[in-house]
This record gives sequence, C-alpha cells and structure tokens, in this order.
Amino acid sequence: MPQKLWREPLDAQKTKLPKAEICIITDLCKGCGFCIEFCPKNVLEQSEQLNKKGKHPPEVTDESSCALCGFCTAICPEFAIFVVEKKGENNVGNEEKE
Amino acid sequence: MVDRESSKEEPRIGVYICHCGLNIAGTVDVEEVTRFASTLPNVIISKDNRYTCSDQGQQLIKNDIKENNLNRIVVASCSPRLHEPTFRKACEEAGLNKYLFEMANIREHCSWVHLNDKIEATQKAKDLVKAAVAKVALLEPAIEAEVPITRKTLVIGGGIAGIQAALDLADTGYEVYLVEREASIGGRMAQIDKTFPTMDCSICILAPKMSDVGHHPNITLLTNSEVKEVRGYIGNFKVKVLKKPRYVTDDCSACNECSEVCPVNIPNEFDVGLATRRAIYTPFAQAVPSTYVVDKEVCLNKEGIMACDKCIIACERQAINFDMEPETLELEVGTIIVATGADVYDPSALLNYGYTRYLNVITSLEFERLINAGGPSGGSLIRPSDMKIPESVAFIQCVGSRSEKGNPYCSNVCCMNTIKDSLLIKEHWPRVQIYVFYVDMRTFGKGFEDLYRRAKEKGVIFIRGLPAEVVEERKTRNLWLTGENTLQNKLYKVNVDMVILSVGIQPCQDSEAIQRFFTLSRTNDGFFMEAHPKLRPVDAPTGGVFLAGCAESPKDIKDSVTQASAAAARAGILMAQGKVTVEAITPKPIPENCRVCGLCAQVCPYNAIIVDKENKLVEVIEAACAGCGTCGAECQFGALHMRHFTDDQIMTQIDALTEDDASKKIIAFCCNWCAYAGADFAGVSRIQYPPNVRIIRTMCSGRISSKFIEHALSRGAGAVLVAGCHPGDCHYIGANYQTKKRVERLWKKMERLGVNKSRLQLLWASAAEGERIASKINEMQVTLKGLTTKEVEKAREAFSDN
Repeated sequence: MPQKLWREPLDAQKTKLPKAEICIITDLCKGCGFCIEFCPKNVLEQSEQLNKKGKHPPEVTDESSCALCGFCTAICPEFAIFVVEKKGENNVGNEEKE
Repeated sequence: MVDRESSKEEPRIGVYICHCGLNIAGTVDVEEVTRFASTLPNVIISKDNRYTCSDQGQQLIKNDIKENNLNRIVVASCSPRLHEPTFRKACEEAGLNKYLFEMANIREHCSWVHLNDKIEATQKAKDLVKAAVAKVALLEPAIEAEVPITRKTLVIGGGIAGIQAALDLADTGYEVYLVEREASIGGRMAQIDKTFPTMDCSICILAPKMSDVGHHPNITLLTNSEVKEVRGYIGNFKVKVLKKPRYVTDDCSACNECSEVCPVNIPNEFDVGLATRRAIYTPFAQAVPSTYVVDKEVCLNKEGIMACDKCIIACERQAINFDMEPETLELEVGTIIVATGADVYDPSALLNYGYTRYLNVITSLEFERLINAGGPSGGSLIRPSDMKIPESVAFIQCVGSRSEKGNPYCSNVCCMNTIKDSLLIKEHWPRVQIYVFYVDMRTFGKGFEDLYRRAKEKGVIFIRGLPAEVVEERKTRNLWLTGENTLQNKLYKVNVDMVILSVGIQPCQDSEAIQRFFTLSRTNDGFFMEAHPKLRPVDAPTGGVFLAGCAESPKDIKDSVTQASAAAARAGILMAQGKVTVEAITPKPIPENCRVCGLCAQVCPYNAIIVDKENKLVEVIEAACAGCGTCGAECQFGALHMRHFTDDQIMTQIDALTEDDASKKIIAFCCNWCAYAGADFAGVSRIQYPPNVRIIRTMCSGRISSKFIEHALSRGAGAVLVAGCHPGDCHYIGANYQTKKRVERLWKKMERLGVNKSRLQLLWASAAEGERIASKINEMQVTLKGLTTKEVEKAREAFSDN
C-alpha cells in the first residue's frame, strides 16, 4: 500500500513508548565504539571529550529516539553504559500494562 | 480428419466479401470488390454476404467447399484477431484444413478508418483481397501439436477478486497457489467499513471467505510473497515466487504479547496512518493468516545483529525466529489469474483542496477507517484536529478522476461510496449537515438509485459543481468551500467542519512488472487490456492468463467478484480439457539449405533451436517455440520454413500490394500483438487516417526480414513502415530488439545507396495506441508527397538485385 502516511496517528499519544535515560560512565569507557556502531537507532556519537583513559567516550545525540533495547549495555565490554526508563514522562502506555 | 487437399493440387479459391451490415458496405463498394475478386487467379467463387460470420454465412462457405471442391478460402471482413477462429472452424467442419484459410481485414483496417473516402477505401479493399488471395494460394495444410495443461492455477493478488477466483477454482477441484504481497489477504475490501448498496459490513462478509482460503485443502496461500519471474506458455508456466520470511512460525497464537513489548511504534498502513502498529504486528484483527509478522524495515534487528530480543522473550510459544530466510519457490502451473488490484489516488497533488496542509481534509479511505468500529476511533466520526464529532461535512467528488490534473477516466465507485458514506453518517449522527459537491452523480447499478434517493430523503444536500478551492479558517480549523453551483448559476461559499475527498482509483504501481511478466498490454489509463472488450472480457491477450478485479479497470466489489468467478471459469475450461493445441506456425528446418551457422539459435528468445555443428543439424523444439519467426528472418539461406508466414507467402503479399500505384503506397508490416492490434483499435475507435497504407500481418515484428523491406522498395513502394511492440513489451520476450537491429542496418544501407532513409520508418505502438499509428501514417505522407519518380526508380534499382 504505497500511500503517503503523513498524519500523526490518532493513538500516537496513547501508544507512546517509555522514554529512555541513557547513562554513560565515561571513565570506564575504553573507546571501542561498539555501542555507537551497533545502536539500531543511531542515538550515540563519539564525543570530543577525553576520559581518564585518554579515550573518547560516546555521547547521546538524540535520547528521545532510544528504544530502550539495551543492546549497548549488552555489548559494552567495560560495563560503561546502561539505559533506564525515564519515570513520570509520557509513560501512559507503559502504566496501562503494569 | 483427412485432408482432401494437398499443397500440390491446383488452388481452387472461394472468396467471400462481407458487408458487415453497413459497417463495411457503408464505405466500401462490396459488389465491386466481389466482382474484382472473381477476376483474380485461381478464384472459383466470389460472393458477397451481409454477415459472413452468421450461421448462414458460415453454412454458405461450407456448402461451397463441398459442392465446388474449394481447397482455399478467403474471407474479407473484420480483423482476423476477431473472427479467424470462427471461419477456421467452419472450414474444418467442411473438411478443409484450417490453415488453408486467410482473412482480409477490410473493416478495422479499411472501412472504419476511411469513412469519408469511398473510392480509395474500395481500392484499398481490393488490394487487401488481392493480397489475401495471393497468399492463400501458397498456404499449406498443417496439423497442430497438442500440449498438456498442468491442472494448477496461480492467482496473483489476495484481494476480493483473487480470493473469489482462488475459492472457485479450488472448489472445482484444481490446485491453487494464491500469492499476496502483503502479510494478510483481504486487500482493499478489508479496509472498507460498509458496502453499497446493501450496507453490509464489509469485513463481516469478507472474513469468512478469507478464512475459507486459509483452510482450503486445495489452496496454498503464499503471503508476504511476490512473483519474480514467469516463464513458459499456456498450460505450462514456470513461476518463481519470492516468499519473504515472516520471522514468526505457524506456532503463533496471535496473543499480541510480542507486539506489546516491541519498542518500535510506527503508523499502520492498514489504518492509512490513523493508528499505530509495532514492528511485530498483525495488519488487522481478522488477518489471514493470523500469524504475526516482523516488519524488518523498521525492526531494530538488522542482518546478523540481534539488538533487541523483547518479542522473543515475550513469546510463550517460542514462535519467533529471526533466522528465517527468504525462499524462492518454483511453481508449475497451467493457468494464471492476475488480480493485482489498484491503488487509491493521492490527492496531495491537488493543491487547491489542501490535503496534507489542512488536518480536517481527509480522503474517503481515511473516512472508511474512521467510521469503522474496528478502526482507530472505534467507529466514531471525529475530525482529526480536535477529535470532535463534526457538525457539518462536505464530500468532494471526482478527486483525481475525470480531470486533467488527475486521471481522465471515471473511477466507477466513488459516487456510490459517497452516498453510502453520507447515509452512514446520517444513521449514527442524524444532525450532521452533509454536502456533496459533484460533477455528475452516477448511480447506474442495481439498487444504486434507491440508495441515492434515500440519501436525498435523509437530507443530504447535493450541489452540482466542484469547489474551486478549500480554505482553512485558522482559529476553528473549519473549512470554507467556494465554487459555482452550475445548476443555479450561483456562486456558493460553504463552511464545514470537515472535508472528505472522494478519491479515485488508479493502476497499481507495480502493474508494469506484471505487464512484463506476461507481455500484457495496458490501456492509456494504465489498466490491463482484455483480449476482446466484449467477447473475451476476462481473458488476457496472452494464452492461459486471465484478469479479475481492479487490475483490469476500476470496479466495485460485486463486479470484482463476478469477474473473478468468470476468470476462474475460463481457467477451469482450459484445465478441464487438459490439453491445448499449439498453432502450427513454428519453423521447419530445410537441411539442404542450412549451413549450420547458428544465427537462428542466437536470436531465438526461447532457446528453442538446437544447433549441432558436428552433425550439421538444426532442430526446433516445438513445445518451446512460440512462433515469432525471428529465426526465419535472421536466416540468410532460406533454411527455415516459417510455417503459415513463409518467405514466399509474405513476398507474394508484397507483390500483390505493389502491383499498381506502388509509389503512392505505404507497405506496413505489423506484429499481431501490438501494432496490428493497435491498428484494429484505431478502427474500432474510428480514428481516420490516409487510405494509402497496406498492412501485412506477421506474428512478431522480429519476423520481418530485411529482404521483405528491400523487396517492397524494389517494387517501387513509396514507403515502408515496420511496427511492433514497445521495446521490453515484446510478446516474444525480446524478439523486437532484432527488428530494431535489422531496421538500423537497413537505414545504413539506404544511406550508403543514396536512398532517402525516411522512407523506412520504425514504430513502437501498443494495442491501445491506435492514435499513435494513425499519426505515424499521417507523418509519413509528407515523405510520400516529396517523393520523386527518380527517387523511386533509384531505390528500385538499388534493391532489385536482392
């Protein structure tokens, strides 16, 4: 069905997904770049900043598109990144489930 | 059947000139042509007849064959594409081999296209009869080979038409493959809320049929699948179908747990983007198969990387498997039904209606989802800007139909759909004020007028004259419609809460691919063309292929179902017979002339010629050969005898047509499927063009050997036209590329010999492009007018050696 879908769906607010908060422990990062390369939503980027190890840890470019899949956490060899659900913000769909 | 005749016997020809009522006799002096025919060599009998195709007409031919020992028959009437089978059958019934019959097309190619030039039309009819008589004398009897038909059908498209066709054939007892591109069958009908004129719930009458398809032992349902390649011919198609993985196995119980945890939320195509879905989903509640599907385009898991396993964890039945691979299935079927449906018109191109700029301007398809109880608003008619029930709505008709900006044709269903929609609104919210702006209300079907009357009784206001413009009021987001009421000659300015654009239907985006697979033709509108608009409305021009539903033209559900059942019956007839005869038009090698050069095998689009250089043998595989004749045209040594279109037969036609006034004539070689059919279409449409063109039919333009063209020029023909299917649309895969090569080679030769090369023209024209053929012939008149006797003589000499 090739029609253009341009409207905001009527249930867009109701079905909004939980918002993510991405936590990066910058000094643990050894700059391997796995999280940046493999993030399916491309929300991470290498930062300019240097950490204690002299590496460039990732920084978040667009937290709102994070899908909370947790893949970055799973592949980080240094346990330097994890994602938690942001509380209280637009988590209607989520609350209904609970 | 014993053939009484043999090709060595002296020809005894019977010629029958048809009046076709006044269709021919109104323009052509039939008596004169009949008299003329009697003077031609070998003609024993020449008669005219009011309707030769009638029972009496056929009986007359049969009697004459028996009483006068006729061994060749010519009928000059309509196109052989229409009645050749009729007369061939009559010949057979009288004991005459049907390959000893020839037609002269003096209706589509003569009387209908030269309505105002009786003298020239009569002259042309005489010429055409002369050529047919000359050819028929050289025809040879032939026996057709029989090919078995695989008793299986492929139905392409799982909308209501495809579903109906599949069920009918499966119930008859044939095995059916139903291929659907989407994840579920159901098509457009599944999206619609109610059907007109009975106001039945659409999905309620469709869902049981969908479920029948899912459970039918004779139906193999292939969803998420696309046809990738079609080879073969009537009765013996080999089809490659790409079955894309669902990533969910049949163990799925459709519990929706996976969908709930999926972190990807996007607009749902089924709800026209009015609701959301997840990356793992089912398109709608009644989907068949009910198994969920992963939309790999948006899923977080890409090739080789499993980023997210939420659905896998949520699935208790462990039905999700991301290791599934695409499969290519090879199906062998005897018949194919094309039911690929249609798209809806995208009104964002019509800027004056403001679709996509104004939230409260919606399309009729969006309306269907809004009014549907299973839809995103739970069946509540709300306007998108504030989710309130509108107090007034306006329907605008013919959006993208019957207009220069959109499509020129009428989309057939929108008038009734709007009437139905307006009644639905009145049923639930009687106070809503409804305006319908229209060009004409077309309520032609059974029960349609009743529904129209009911809508008027309920207070729906119908205003003739489409709004020129829709403008949004900023604050309220209400819409102002301005235009002219053409019944009252008054301008109107109407304020409504919501506007519904009654959008038209247009051909599917991928109908081009389907067209290529089956070498079908499309009308100017882009819908598939039927073999004959009246008598074979569901047969495609390609043998063994049938059409159903909106792929053929815009139509409502009832018509789609009717057509689907008809297509199923037509396919069933073929399969019940279990065999089909192949026209005896395949080549026969003549070993004594053959030098085993292998050129014939190189140009054969079907690889049907095997060249054995060691043993100096060339063999034609009859079952694979489609009879295009490209090999025959390529052979320089006369070593391939193209049955029924032999070199001698075509040469004698050229001779007959160039006997007198050759320099004023255009000799046109047209392929049976596109150009000749296009010239027929010009006739049916009464498109007028100059009468000096003489058309010779071959099966494919690839048959047209350079020596035919050179021969025509050496006989002093003013100009030669070679016409075939558009490149890529050739009925014989790519045989017309050989045509192009040959013509280009000849152009060079003409240049070299100092012959004006514009006297040879090449034209690609489809069966629907009568206009194109006519304008080419008009264009060629200029060349003819400027042609001097000297030039004609020069070409005559230059090519006379050949």
